[in-house]
Amino acid sequence: MATGIRDKVAIVGMGCTRFGERWDVGADGLMVEAFLEALADAGIERARIEAAWVGNALDDINVGNSALPAAHALRLDKVPVTRVENMCATGTEALRGAAYAVASGAVDIALAIGVEKLKDTGYGGLPLRTKGVQNDLWMPYGSAPGTFAQLAGAYAARHGIAPGDLKRAMAHVSWKSHQNGALSPKAHLRGTVDMDKILNAPLIADPLGLFDCCGVSDGAAAAIVTTPEIARALGKADPVTIKAIQLSASNGWEMQFGAWDGATVPNTRAAAARAYAEAGIRDPRAELDMTEVHDCFSITELVTMEDLGLSDEGRAPTDILDGRFDRGGAIPCQLDGGLKCFGHPVGASGLRMAYEVYTQLQGRAGDRQRDKVDFGLTHNLGGSPFNSVAAVAILGRLN
Amino acid sequence: MSGLAQSFGIAALGGYIPLLRLDRKAVARELAWSGLPMPRTGTRAVADWDEDALTMAVEAARPLCCRSAPEALRFASTSAYFTDRAQSGMALDALALPRTVRTSDAGNSRRGATSALLDALLGARSEIVTAGEQRPTQPGSAAQLAFGDGAAAVRTGPHAPARLIGHASLSYDLIDRYASRDHPFSYAYEERFVRDAAVAEVLTPVVRAACAAAGIAPAQLAHAAVHEPVSACWRAVAKALGSKAPNHCEAVSEMAGDLGVAHALYGLGLALDTAEVGDFVLLVGFGSGADAMVFEVTSPVPGASAMVAALKEGQVLVSYSRFLSLTGSLELDWGMRAEFEQKAQATVLERVGRDMVGFVGGRDSAGNVQFPKSAFPVNPALSEVEKMEDVRLADLEATIVSITADRLNFSPDPPFDFGLVQFENGARVLMEMVNRPADGFRVGDRVRMRLRIKAQNRRLGFRTYFWKAAPLVRPVLGEA
Repeated sequence: MATGIRDKVAIVGMGCTRFGERWDVGADGLMVEAFLEALADAGIERARIEAAWVGNALDDINVGNSALPAAHALRLDKVPVTRVENMCATGTEALRGAAYAVASGAVDIALAIGVEKLKDTGYGGLPLRTKGVQNDLWMPYGSAPGTFAQLAGAYAARHGIAPGDLKRAMAHVSWKSHQNGALSPKAHLRGTVDMDKILNAPLIADPLGLFDCCGVSDGAAAAIVTTPEIARALGKADPVTIKAIQLSASNGWEMQFGAWDGATVPNTRAAAARAYAEAGIRDPRAELDMTEVHDCFSITELVTMEDLGLSDEGRAPTDILDGRFDRGGAIPCQLDGGLKCFGHPVGASGLRMAYEVYTQLQGRAGDRQRDKVDFGLTHNLGGSPFNSVAAVAILGRLN
Repeated sequence: MSGLAQSFGIAALGGYIPLLRLDRKAVARELAWSGLPMPRTGTRAVADWDEDALTMAVEAARPLCCRSAPEALRFASTSAYFTDRAQSGMALDALALPRTVRTSDAGNSRRGATSALLDALLGARSEIVTAGEQRPTQPGSAAQLAFGDGAAAVRTGPHAPARLIGHASLSYDLIDRYASRDHPFSYAYEERFVRDAAVAEVLTPVVRAACAAAGIAPAQLAHAAVHEPVSACWRAVAKALGSKAPNHCEAVSEMAGDLGVAHALYGLGLALDTAEVGDFVLLVGFGSGADAMVFEVTSPVPGASAMVAALKEGQVLVSYSRFLSLTGSLELDWGMRAEFEQKAQATVLERVGRDMVGFVGGRDSAGNVQFPKSAFPVNPALSEVEKMEDVRLADLEATIVSITADRLNFSPDPPFDFGLVQFENGARVLMEMVNRPADGFRVGDRVRMRLRIKAQNRRLGFRTYFWKAAPLVRPVLGEA
């Protein structure tokens, strides 16, 4: 019986670039920024990195295939470097690779780094696919907001919620994140936005308006992981440890088989259940102190609150409007502003979320610091609601 | 008159008119400053961005495939997209007909469909002749408003409800209009010349000969479907021959436009719907000569009334700029997202193309249907690799499970409606939606499948085709 990796891997250093329209720097420069901060935070030399996992989702338009762009950028000398890609779960996938390497005893110190340079496409939204494969012969090529917008209609239909009421709850999700993002020096969007502006924004994909959608940014984030023993030897008396990392991927069931009503994301539920078990969390509402979830769109965050078990079925709109996930609420969500304010450089986002939890766990979050943070959860959702990869990670402290 | 054709005739018909109908008056108003002459009454059928001669011809032929497979499938168009790839072969796959059905393509003449029909009848063969047209036109030309996009199809067979009793053909290189590689837009000569020459040299002689072959006087014709090169030709011919038969192609011109190669067949549908048992009905295809056929109606012809109904359904389009954009006459700057293009590979099409264009999924051993097929069924109740039984989804209805109107990704005619649809047999498919209702699509809406262009690669001059979901019913013209 597998025991999981709870407390077998410590995070001793993390780095995160300022996210945004980084006209000043390429993907290599972004990786260097995040890496240098992580090295300094860990207090180690570059030569101690024994293996690295680089997460990058959209290779064709920016960073490039394989391990080489990262190995070059960071001048990792004959180190085993692996590129991973799992859509929007890519950053967490990189962390999982590095963590598994340490947990297995294969290496003592490993690097996870995620990066995406989206703003070189020249347009808003995610880059477009151009390969000719079987799916292109039949599958509609909708945008990311187009696929996630469909959660809204299905959710409203399942729970009998008037579209206007759902829209107001979705607007609160974005309003709350912008409030938080204003306190995040590294966020892309740092202004607050009032509710009327959110509610009356132009539609991107019905019913998602402009402010229901996260930004599109450049950015990188990195984590250096090791064993708890080495962490202590490095002077981390109470190191941050990984309590769980779990993934769940669609096998086509949602979009090809007629049993799903489109109002939930089953993979988030599966990954969360496994992550709670791995972390030993029995009551996530009582035990989790914060979450950083995949708010690519406001409706995604709303549905995720139920998928993670943090709201009862059909209650997320009410909980959201009651402020349960606001900064001062019971389980704040997106204390750093989330994808909404950081934007979503796909390969980096999972590690950017971990960076915020890591920072909060160490009481280093400045104006954003939450009083008590013992457990924080990160959640990524790659693909679309009907064809997804979900990743859930839980971080805490060793003691 | 050949004895071969005596028992053969029209077994059934089908027609297809795209949803949008351009209000000619609105365009005439828009172009009033130019002083150019153009039709000012009625509407002109406009293909969606993802419709072409093939998709419309397939739609017209769909009702004709439900019985046995025909001996041959004939495709006719002067505006087919591919010049070296048989549209008839693609239509065969889209209609899920066996590959043993013979196919051929007729182009370069508006008369292609009636000639193919006559050949089928004279050969006493059960065939489908389908004709689709989407001709490019130049802004300001009378043709732009006079032409229409659409399709019509006929199925021939023995013991037919409209049997051929006489025919005549005339080959005559009268240049009323032409299009060429160097001049893809139709170039039209003076109407008065065309009318005089066509009536005197082509139409009157050929109709007279067909009636003679049928053993009837022209005065005995009850209805006509005559593709006129310009208006009022039939009036002159009928007067000369003593016929009072109304020309039902005029209604097609008025409500949908001149459908080119499909025009006479569509008019025939209208004529046969009105005709009573015992009536004689005239069909005339025109273009570099004429084919004339006289049919005797022995019972109602399947499909005719649906063609009448289709003509009356649609959405009025008053935006000339949208029309120009849809027809490629106006290239809007859609931004960088429109630079996107996908290359379709012949290798992929060879492996799965027939299932795609035929919308063929698979039924697993537990009875569940899925699309596309896979080695391991998607059905969670099954765990072993198995071979699935082909199931065509194109002719089934489905229900919308989730939906959005996407305004971010490029679409030539936004918004881009897409979502999951659920078939009763278990198949669930992510699909594009077409024929957007005035108030948009909703979860729970019932939809039917329509063949459309899936992707268009303009640089490489290639199209792929797939099915998209459309509302079950269309609004009555003028009410939406």
